[in-house]
Amino acid sequence: MKLGRRQFLASAGATALTASLSAPTAWAQAAKEVEVGLLVPLSGLYARFGTSCRQGAEMAVERINKEGGIKSLGGAKMKLVVVDAGDTAEKAKSAAQRMVADYPNMVGVSGAYLSTLTLAVSEVTERAKLPMLTLSYSDLITDRGFKYIFQTSATAASQAKQAMPVVLKVARSAGGDPKTVAIITDNTAASVASVKPMREGLLAEVGLKIVVDETFTPPLADATPLVQKVRSARPDLLFFLPTVISDAKLVLEKMNEFGMGQGRVPTMAFGIAMFEPDMLQTMSPDLLQGMIGSIGSWGGKGHEGIASELKAKYKEPWVDQNVISTYGDFIVMRDALEKSGKADRESLANSLHTLDGGPSKYYPGGAIKFDEKGRRVDAGLAIIQWQSGTPVTIYPESLAVGKPIWSKK
Amino acid sequence: MSRAEVGPPHGVRLMTFPILVENVLQSLMAGLLVGAIYGLMCVGLALIFGIMRVINFAQGDFMMLGMYVAYFFFAALGVQPLFGSIFGPYVAAFLAAPVLFGVGYFAHQFLISRVSGTRTAQLDGEGHYAQLILTLGIALILQNASQMIFGSMVVSVRTPLSSTAWIIGPLWGDFIEIFVNKARAIAAIVSLLVIAGLALVIGGTRLGKALRASADDPTAATYIGIDVNFAHRIAFALGISITALAGGLLAPNYPFHPFVGLEYVIIMYAGVVLGGLGSIIGAFWGGMTIGIVQQMSALVLPTQLQNSAIFVFFLLIVLLRPQGLFGRVTERT
Repeated sequence: MKLGRRQFLASAGATALTASLSAPTAWAQAAKEVEVGLLVPLSGLYARFGTSCRQGAEMAVERINKEGGIKSLGGAKMKLVVVDAGDTAEKAKSAAQRMVADYPNMVGVSGAYLSTLTLAVSEVTERAKLPMLTLSYSDLITDRGFKYIFQTSATAASQAKQAMPVVLKVARSAGGDPKTVAIITDNTAASVASVKPMREGLLAEVGLKIVVDETFTPPLADATPLVQKVRSARPDLLFFLPTVISDAKLVLEKMNEFGMGQGRVPTMAFGIAMFEPDMLQTMSPDLLQGMIGSIGSWGGKGHEGIASELKAKYKEPWVDQNVISTYGDFIVMRDALEKSGKADRESLANSLHTLDGGPSKYYPGGAIKFDEKGRRVDAGLAIIQWQSGTPVTIYPESLAVGKPIWSKK
Repeated sequence: MSRAEVGPPHGVRLMTFPILVENVLQSLMAGLLVGAIYGLMCVGLALIFGIMRVINFAQGDFMMLGMYVAYFFFAALGVQPLFGSIFGPYVAAFLAAPVLFGVGYFAHQFLISRVSGTRTAQLDGEGHYAQLILTLGIALILQNASQMIFGSMVVSVRTPLSSTAWIIGPLWGDFIEIFVNKARAIAAIVSLLVIAGLALVIGGTRLGKALRASADDPTAATYIGIDVNFAHRIAFALGISITALAGGLLAPNYPFHPFVGLEYVIIMYAGVVLGGLGSIIGAFWGGMTIGIVQQMSALVLPTQLQNSAIFVFFLLIVLLRPQGLFGRVTERT
């Protein structure tokens, strides 16, 4: 039969209409999927960190689905929804509002990355009763009596307390005996929370005297005024808390310029900014050698498979906190969904509160278990150090792949 | 021998008068070096906003493009192997400038000219509303397209100059040493030379006269045979390329990403208005003032208020001298 143009168009239209009418059936079958979210900064100042979170989330969800999905839900696949949180608390909050409105079937979310953003986002997810897992550090995140927020990293105050004896032990074992310390910190929520216990007596308890205490707003245009103050005070140790890579470069290069770089004033960073691969794109590895970092989590022993997949898929040279923690978040969500056997927010939250997943594999120390505040029980930290152009995990021993070195003045 | 090696023991240095003097001089030096680059950025915007009166909110993003072009010339297109890590960054910055001149020329021809120049001279607001929306749109497109193309990884043009300094001193016995960052110092000198050259072109050549005439009175300029739209196009492209050059000169010191323009566009506008609309030299001094205020404010205020100090100073100038530092009395900010 030969079709005229009009008949052809009519039959094509009818076919399209039939297909669209039959779509609900297909949609109903596809509803076997469980929608989970990732809300992290993918634009602006913190885009780099959100991108790493996204890589971890994509790898975890791919693995979960490859392994047969969530078995207690009939093999339902996980469907990852990625939302850009932007780079300010206001943008993050409105992104969270859009997310809960646009995805009513979403059962859980991971992310926000920066504590300042997480504090804003969790106000929205709490009202929507949407369970949220986060790697952010600020103590305030789980100090507000919220029921739907779960903090997988040790809090900032806890990290500061845990890190101090380790750092001093490393220093003393290498012949150093620090007595004075300078603090340079940005004013984001996690940095402020880390510095608070130091200022309130933690450093005095371990015999360290603060001789410089400077707070700046990121991003810096130039680090001269800050580093000049360090130079005037001549501390034995510098605690540096940046959250933006450009600030890390500006301060470290200025330290070198002023004759304090390359270990002459041993520097310890809190947070991830100084240990991203981007640092090697912006400055010489010589200036990074020996820098120590205290971080909520880091890839190490037991993560070799993830490291090689990350390298092959995204060409990233190592597994940072954002990749490994976010990867872990989705595995934890899967385990909690397996336990609850229901794909709704309330069941997932209850399941996370009562989960006892045994020793932690993707976060350092402790167990996969949350206390009544939503903090992971006995959460530890990872201490890493730049050694020959790579950040190497030196603590805890269960993750360590290298021995610490202490720069000599 | 550096002062770090000859000074008193660690942690016992008190804030003596020589140290105070050193802190002031060091901050002033940082302010001058940072301010010179700000000044060059502001001069680029001054050509477009201060003289041609075209609002361009994408200026920071064109600068970001300039930084990436310089980076690729340096790292991928053979400038580093050919000129090394000392001269290479500056050669790359100068190569980026003509590329961005071309980008600016075509952006004006196909987009900006629709909402500026003779087409809008008689309109209410001289097309500023449309310029605002159009350039904001261009900014968003440049940011997001750059993120898709270049990724979110932070990069910079790597040179040993950015972490080394020339040392002035020791002065006052052993107590005062002033560090002059090599990369920033070279960038500042290049900025001054470029601005001097531009001032000569604008003030003493036929092209400069055509640009000024087109800016002052487009209708009268047309009557005396000047192609006003072409003059606007050249001014726009020149403004973009100068700001891109500033970006290229900044790239060794400042790591950048596709959203870096946002961090500088406000400083550029503040510098142009501070210096006085319509003045190239004024824009340079506006940028320089911002750099000095930003760096020296940390001597008396908490460091986190550095940028607030800029805008308090800006408001003071607008209050006391509404025409800006070098503006004409008839042109209020």
